[in-house]
Amino acid sequence: MTAIAFTQILLNGLALGAAYALIALGFVIVLNAAGAVNFAQGELVMAGGFVSIAVAPLIGEATALPGLLLLPLVMGLMGLMGAGFAWIAYFPVRKRHQVAVFVSTIAAGLVLQHLANALFGAAPRAGPPLISGNGLTVGALSISLQQIAVMVCAAVLISGTGLFLGRTQTGRQMRAVAQDPEMAAAIGIRPKRMITLSFALAIALAGAAGLLLSNQFFVSPNDGGLFMLKAYIAVTIGGWGRLDGAVIGALLIGIFETLVAALTSYLVAEALLYALLLIMLVFRPSGLLPERARARV
Amino acid sequence: MSDPRSRLALGVAAIALALYALFFAGDYALHVLTRAGIYAIAAIGYQLIFGRLGALSLAQGCFFGLGAYAAGLGALELGLGFPLTLAAGVLLPSLLAALIAIPVLRLASHYFALATLGIAQLALLVATNWTDVTGGANGLYGVPPIETGTLSFGHGLPLTLLVWACVGLALTVSHRMTAGQRGLKVETLREAPLAAAALGIDGSAIRFRFFVASAALGGLAGALQAHAVGVVSPDVLQFHVLVLILAMTVIGGRASPLGAVLGALLLVHLPEWFRDFADYYLVVYGAALLAAIIFLPRGLAGLFGKSEMPPVETADAEAPRDPAPHTLSVETVSKRFGGVTALDSVSLTLAPGEILGLIGPNGSGKTTLVNLLSGIDKPDGGRILLGDADITGKPPEYIARSGLCRSFQHPQIAPDLTVLESVEAVTAEGESAAARVTEAGLSDRANENAGTLPPAALKHLEIARALAAGASVLALDEPAAGMNEVERANLAALLKRLADAGHGILLIDHAMDFLLPLADRVICLSAGRVVAEGTPADVARDPAAINAYFGESPL
Amino acid sequence: MFLKSAAVALTALLATSLTAKAETIPVLVPITGFLSLEGTSQRNGAVLAIERYGKDLGLDAEVTDTGTSPEGAVTALRRALEDKPSAAVASMLGTQMLAMLPIAGRAGVPLLTVSGTAKITEIGIPWVFRFFPGDSVVKVAQARYAIEELGAKRPALLHQTTAYGQSGAEHLRRIMRELGAPLVFEEAIDISVKDMLPALTRMQEAKPDLILLHLHSGSTALVIRQARDQNIALPILAGSAMHQPTTAALLEPKQLAGVCAESASSPISEPEGQVEDFTAEYRARFGTEPDAFALAQYDGVSMLIAAKNAGARTAAEVRDWLASNSYDGLAMTYKSDGKGNMAHDAVVVCYDGKSAVPVIKRRYENVSGVK
Repeated sequence: MTAIAFTQILLNGLALGAAYALIALGFVIVLNAAGAVNFAQGELVMAGGFVSIAVAPLIGEATALPGLLLLPLVMGLMGLMGAGFAWIAYFPVRKRHQVAVFVSTIAAGLVLQHLANALFGAAPRAGPPLISGNGLTVGALSISLQQIAVMVCAAVLISGTGLFLGRTQTGRQMRAVAQDPEMAAAIGIRPKRMITLSFALAIALAGAAGLLLSNQFFVSPNDGGLFMLKAYIAVTIGGWGRLDGAVIGALLIGIFETLVAALTSYLVAEALLYALLLIMLVFRPSGLLPERARARV
Repeated sequence: MSDPRSRLALGVAAIALALYALFFAGDYALHVLTRAGIYAIAAIGYQLIFGRLGALSLAQGCFFGLGAYAAGLGALELGLGFPLTLAAGVLLPSLLAALIAIPVLRLASHYFALATLGIAQLALLVATNWTDVTGGANGLYGVPPIETGTLSFGHGLPLTLLVWACVGLALTVSHRMTAGQRGLKVETLREAPLAAAALGIDGSAIRFRFFVASAALGGLAGALQAHAVGVVSPDVLQFHVLVLILAMTVIGGRASPLGAVLGALLLVHLPEWFRDFADYYLVVYGAALLAAIIFLPRGLAGLFGKSEMPPVETADAEAPRDPAPHTLSVETVSKRFGGVTALDSVSLTLAPGEILGLIGPNGSGKTTLVNLLSGIDKPDGGRILLGDADITGKPPEYIARSGLCRSFQHPQIAPDLTVLESVEAVTAEGESAAARVTEAGLSDRANENAGTLPPAALKHLEIARALAAGASVLALDEPAAGMNEVERANLAALLKRLADAGHGILLIDHAMDFLLPLADRVICLSAGRVVAEGTPADVARDPAAINAYFGESPL
Repeated sequence: MFLKSAAVALTALLATSLTAKAETIPVLVPITGFLSLEGTSQRNGAVLAIERYGKDLGLDAEVTDTGTSPEGAVTALRRALEDKPSAAVASMLGTQMLAMLPIAGRAGVPLLTVSGTAKITEIGIPWVFRFFPGDSVVKVAQARYAIEELGAKRPALLHQTTAYGQSGAEHLRRIMRELGAPLVFEEAIDISVKDMLPALTRMQEAKPDLILLHLHSGSTALVIRQARDQNIALPILAGSAMHQPTTAALLEPKQLAGVCAESASSPISEPEGQVEDFTAEYRARFGTEPDAFALAQYDGVSMLIAAKNAGARTAAEVRDWLASNSYDGLAMTYKSDGKGNMAHDAVVVCYDGKSAVPVIKRRYENVSGVK
C-alpha cells in the first residue's frame, strides 16, 4: 500500500470512528444515567438519518452548508424524541431488573425500524451533505470535504458534551444523579428530570451521528443493528461507563476495521475484530481501561 | 411447578392446547403451533442460563442456529436418520458451550454478554463464508422431513405432536435441574453469588451445567426447525433469533418454564394476528412487545400468581448433629491491594468452642481477613489451616465445605426464598433444614420471604445457613450492627449456645458492650497489623488498642 | 311465487358474491429486512397486474410479508394455502423459495417468482415459474458486454455475501474464465459494510481494467460513489441493482458516467409504447419509479391471468398452461424451458453522465450458456 493510500484509509477510518464515537458516547450517557443498556441506540441513529432527510427540504439546495444548518434542528428534534423515548421505554420499567430495560428498548427499536420502513420505504436514501461541494485534491490525496466536516463536527460535539457534563451546573447535576440518584435527590436534584435530560442528550447525539453518516453512507431502515454492535463493543473495550473510553474505543474500532480490511479483506477484518475482542476478554476480563459505571446489565 | 396449583394450571393448559391442535387447527394453525413449540424449547433452555442464573447470554440464537446446521449437515452430508440428526443438533452447540464455558462464564455481566455476542457473530461469519461446507448464504436445502420407519412426522399434526413432545421433554429437563434443593441453590447463586460460594455451593459447576443445558435445548430446537422448514440458511444465526427468544423469556416470566411456553405461543402468534395491519404489522408487534413488558412486570406467568410452597412445620424438627470440631490457625498472613498493605503478617488461632473477638477501626483489615479466610480473596503470603488441612488460597466453596463459613456485613440473601428455603438450599442430604432454622431462633418466621425480614432476623438467617452448610468455624462480620438491646441479647445467647456446642466463632464488631462480655479472647487490628491480643479486659486497657481507635477508649 | 323469486334473488346474490371474490392470489414477498427494496417492487408489480387485468375475473391480491427467513416464507405460504389458491406469487429470495417449493409441490400450487437463484428450477419440483432471467442468463450478458463491448481483459469483481451475491459471483467467476478474461481481483462485501475504500484500494493494486459489481442497491451506490470520489475512472459494469431508479437516485449523474448495468429490462428507459404506459400507471399507483423486478412480476402475473382467461381454473391447469405456452410480456417473451425458467433475455443499460435515466445499450435474447 502506498503512503497516500494509507493516509486516505486512515482518514476514512477516523471519520467512521468519529461517527461511531458519537453513538458510543450517547450509549454511555444513558448507561450512566439510567444504569441500563439502551439497545435502540442504533435504530435512533437510523431515525436521525431519516429525520435529516425529512427536514432537509426546509433548507433547500441553495445554501452552501445544508447539513450544518440542519444539525441543530435535527439534534433538537431527536432530543425531544429522546425525552419521549425515556418516558415510553425507560421510566415505566425503571424499578425493575435491568434486563427489562434491555428488552423494552429492543422493542422500541423494532418499532422505529419498521416505522421507518413503512414511512420512508425500503430503499436506501442519501441525507443532506454537511457542506456542499466535493472536495479538494492535494497531490494524489483526494480529501473529501464531507469527511473533514464529519470529523470536525464530531470533535466539536464530543468536546461540547464533555464540557457540558464537566463544567456546567446542569451537567454536574446529571453526573451526580448518575453516580447516586438517592443522594442527588437528597440534595435537591430531581433525578427524573436529569435522567430525561440524559436521554435527550444521548439521543440528540445519536441523531447527529445519523445526519453525519447519512450523506456519505446513506441510510436505510435496517442500519440500526450495525451501529448498535459497534457502539457496544466500543463501550466495552473502552471501560464500561467511561465517556473518554467510549470515544477512544469507537475511534480504535473505526480505524481497525478500515485498516485491516484494506490490508486483508472485510471478512478477515470482521472476524479478527470479534476474535481480538474475545482474546481481550480472556486476558483482561473488564475491558482495556478500568470501568467506572455504577451499574451493569 | 411442584405445587398442586401450577400443576393444575399446566395440565389444563396442555389439554386445551391438545384439543385445539387435534380438532380446531388447520395446516397453517398447526404450522404456527409447531413453530411456537420449537421456540418454546429454545426459550426453556434460555431460561436456565438467563432466567435462573441471571447471565445475559447473547449466544442462545447461535446455539439454535448451530443445532439447525448440525442437523441439516448430518442429514444431507452424513446421511444420518431422524433421531441421530436431533442428537447432532444437540451435540454441536453443547460442545461449543462446553468449550467456551470456562473462559466466558467467569466474565461479569455485560462482558459475558459481549463475549457471547462475539461468538455468535463469529458463527454467523463462518456459516456465511465457509461456502464449501455450509452452502454459504444460500445455505442447505432439502433437509428431509422427520421419518422413522413407517412413521412420518414430516408436517401437520404428527410434526406438531412430536415438537410438543419435545417441549415436554425440555420441561422435564428444566424441572429436574431446578426442582427442590437444586432450584434453591440456583436461586441463591443468582441472587447472592458471594454467599453461595461462602456456603459451599459450587457455582462454577452449576453455571457450566446450565450453560451447556441451555445450548443443548437451543440446539434441539434448531434441529427440529431444520427438519420442519427443510432449509437452513445463515438467517437462523442472525441476532433476531436471539431477540425473539429473549423476548419470549422476559414476557413469559423469567423463572417459570410454563411462562416460557406461554411467551413462545404469544410471540409466534402475535405477528400472525397483526397481519391485517399490512405494512405496519411489525410496528404494532413491537408496540405490543413494549406494552407487554411494561404492563406485565412478572411476565405472563405472573398472571397466574406466584406458586406458593406449602408451609412447613418446624416444631418436631430433630436436634441437628454437630460438626467435627476444627481449630482455625492463621499463620503470618499478608495481603496487598496495589501498593497498599491491607494485612501485614497476621497470626491467630481459634479453638473449637471459643469466641474470638476481632476489633479495630474501619480500614484496619478486619473484613479483608474474613475475605481471606473464606477464600474470596487470596493471601499474598502466609498459611491458613483448618484442623490439619491447608485451606490457603482455596476457592470459597472448598473452604465452606471444609467447615468454615462466614456471614457478610451486608447480608447476602435471595429475597424471594423463604427462610426455610434459604437454609434448605445448603443443607446436606439427610439433615433437617427446619432444625437449623429452629436452632437459629427463626422458627416463627420460617415461611416468610427472606427479602421481607428485619435486619436482625437476616443475621440469624445467615448463621442458620452457615450451620446448615456444616460450619464448625463461623466468621461473623459485624452481626450486631444496627440491632437493639433485645436483639443483641438474643444474638449473644445464640452465639454462646453455638460455642458451647463446639463451634469456633470469629466475631467482628464495633459494639464493645456486645463483644467484650461475649468473647473469650480479643485481637485488635490496626492498619493491617495485630496491635493487641488477650482477654477482653486486657485488650480494653491496652494502650495500642486505645491508640488504634484514635485515642478513644473502646469502652 | 314468492319463494321462487326469493330463491332467484338468493342465487343471484350468491353468484355476485362468488364472482366478486372469485379468488385471492397470495403475494408472498419480503417487504421487511435486507431484501425489502426488491421485495416491494415485486409486490407492486404483482398488485398492479392483478388490479389491471384481474378485476374481471374477480381476482384479488393478498400481500403477506415473508421477512428474510425461510421460516417466515413457509409460514406465509401455509397461511396462503388455507384458501386453496390456484397460484401464488412467491419471494425473490432463493432460500425462501427452496423452503416453500416442497410444500407448494405437495399442495400442487404453482409459485410465480422473480428469484434469480439457479437452484430453484434445478431441484426437480415442477411447480415453480421464474419470470426473471436467472444468473445463467444475466451474468452471461454482463460478462459478454464486459468483454465484447468494453474490451475488458482484467476484470475485478466486488460481490455481496448474500445468497444473491454468492451465486452471481460463482457464475461470473466461471463465465469470465471461460470467455478468456479471468477475474484479477475479487472481494466479498457484507451488506452492512459502509466504507468501500479498503476494497477499492486493494482492487487498484491488482490493476484491473473494469469493475464488475454484483451487489444490492445501497452497496452498489456506495462503491460507485467512493470510486468516483477517489478518481477511479474505470468503467463499471454493475448487476441489476444499478438499473433500479432508487439506486441511481443516490448518485449524482456525473458520478454515473461510465457506469453500465445488466438487467432483465429497464422500464423507465423506454420512452414509448406499452412499457411507458406501465411506467406511468406504476408511478401513479405507488409514487415511485418501476424497476425490472416490478415489470417481471407484472408480466408473470399477467401471464397467470392469460392462463385463467384461456380457461385454466385449477392449480394443475394453471401449471400446465404456464408450462406449455408462451406469453408476450412487456419486457420480453416468456416461455418455459421445461424447468420453469420463463425469461431468457437480458439487457445492458448505460448511464451517460448527464441523466439518471439509463439507455438500453444492448439486448441479449435467448441466452443459454456462454454463447
